[in-house]
Amino acid sequence: MKWTATAGRVKGTVMDEDANRRSLTRIAHEIVERNKGANDLVLVGVVRKGDTLAKRLAGHISELEGSMVPVGRINPARHRDDLHIRPVADGRDLSELPDIKDRIVVLVDDVIWHGRTIRAAMDALMELGRPRAIQLAVLVDRGHRELPIRPDYVGKNVATSPDEMIYVCLKEFEDLDQVVVIR
Amino acid sequence: MAVGSRLRHVIESQQFSRSLLEDLFARSDEIKREPHRFMGRLNGQVMAALFYEPSTRTRLSFEAAMMRLGGQTMGTDNAREFSSAAKGETLEDTIRIVSGYADVIVVRHNEEGAAKRAAAVSSVPIINAGDGPGQHPTQALLDLYTIKDELNRIDGIRVALVGDLANGRTVRSLTYLLSKFKEIQVWFVAPPLVAMRDDLKAHLDEHHVPWVETEDLDAVLPEVDVVYMTRIQKERFSDPAAYEAVKGIYRIDTHSLELMRKYAIVMHPLPRVDEIAPEVDGDSRAAYFRQARNGLHVRMALLDRLLA
Repeated sequence: MKWTATAGRVKGTVMDEDANRRSLTRIAHEIVERNKGANDLVLVGVVRKGDTLAKRLAGHISELEGSMVPVGRINPARHRDDLHIRPVADGRDLSELPDIKDRIVVLVDDVIWHGRTIRAAMDALMELGRPRAIQLAVLVDRGHRELPIRPDYVGKNVATSPDEMIYVCLKEFEDLDQVVVIR
Repeated sequence: MAVGSRLRHVIESQQFSRSLLEDLFARSDEIKREPHRFMGRLNGQVMAALFYEPSTRTRLSFEAAMMRLGGQTMGTDNAREFSSAAKGETLEDTIRIVSGYADVIVVRHNEEGAAKRAAAVSSVPIINAGDGPGQHPTQALLDLYTIKDELNRIDGIRVALVGDLANGRTVRSLTYLLSKFKEIQVWFVAPPLVAMRDDLKAHLDEHHVPWVETEDLDAVLPEVDVVYMTRIQKERFSDPAAYEAVKGIYRIDTHSLELMRKYAIVMHPLPRVDEIAPEVDGDSRAAYFRQARNGLHVRMALLDRLLA
């Protein structure tokens, strides 16, 4: 698998395929419950794994509500605060959004850490429209926030040390669904 | 017994503060993820297991926990028949003797309050592994840990407790723990004969935990995040006819799964008889075997906290 070759030793699995799926169905329930339905929702995934998770989440919500929720994706690269030290990665999908004006946007990402990617994603989003509200759903919250940002929906909180990495494997990329800690 | 950051004996669920629970669960997470890091933590320490009532699971789980931390274990399986208790020795005397040999004593007894009596005379930590119909606090710890592990939170959880709620010490201990969290809702699903006792309902009222009592399991299933099944405990009935009247009354099967939310979990302290159909085992919402495995990690965290 790609990550074993590039990123050190796997220390442990924190979510398997079943846990992953149950987390997403739970988050779908929580989103619908909190927003009293899915009528005004738009799911926006942060490329690239958030993008994939947003599509899956939309599937779970439509199963619950019987109607499709619009899905978009946002590429926060140009809004990052570390462009001077880390050039924009090439080849990632560009932002593509349905109308978000006066909608409730649920941003979706795989892992939240310092919170800087989400800050950039919110800036990128605001440049393209003015949603009524933005909420945040993540599969894993690994702590160590550097900005005042807190997800509304979390699959799993995983306590990590700064020298560990959380890697979210998704079938669409790695042939299996699994969340691992590596060091 | 004052329990803040210091933990001396483990007697009943009420003694655990929310912050102590969170510490224990964080440690359980670490142990679960990287068990090898904790090898040898309790080198040279000895755990005594005094079981006056039969148990396989709890006892093996404690012994495995101690051994995986590098400690050693000794014990008696049938303390009532084979130890000096058979000769008339009091529990207090037995504890005084054994606390001279061991660094921690795990006690299961048939009488409610036995663990408290043991703690009063012991010079080493006592862990209550079940005292008659009283409590089973370590089971409640692993149950609560399982809820957190499976659903990523405890606050706001909706729980159905199903089956023998009058005699089930695990549901009593778990209910005490749940009352320490925010926005919990509880459904007691039981036939009147074995309904939840009034003392616990009063406890929930005091802690502003809303609860509902019903006999209709199917009506509750779509509402909850956790379905906690228990066995109707034959050994706690003096009247066989009373047992026959309520046994097998609740059963989780594929029809129940259809009624449940897609992420909700089924828990059971095990052993089960017929409360959960075997075909449920293959559904990912069947959390009871994961729950049993969590028992090892939570007990390791507890022994580590008491002894390391």
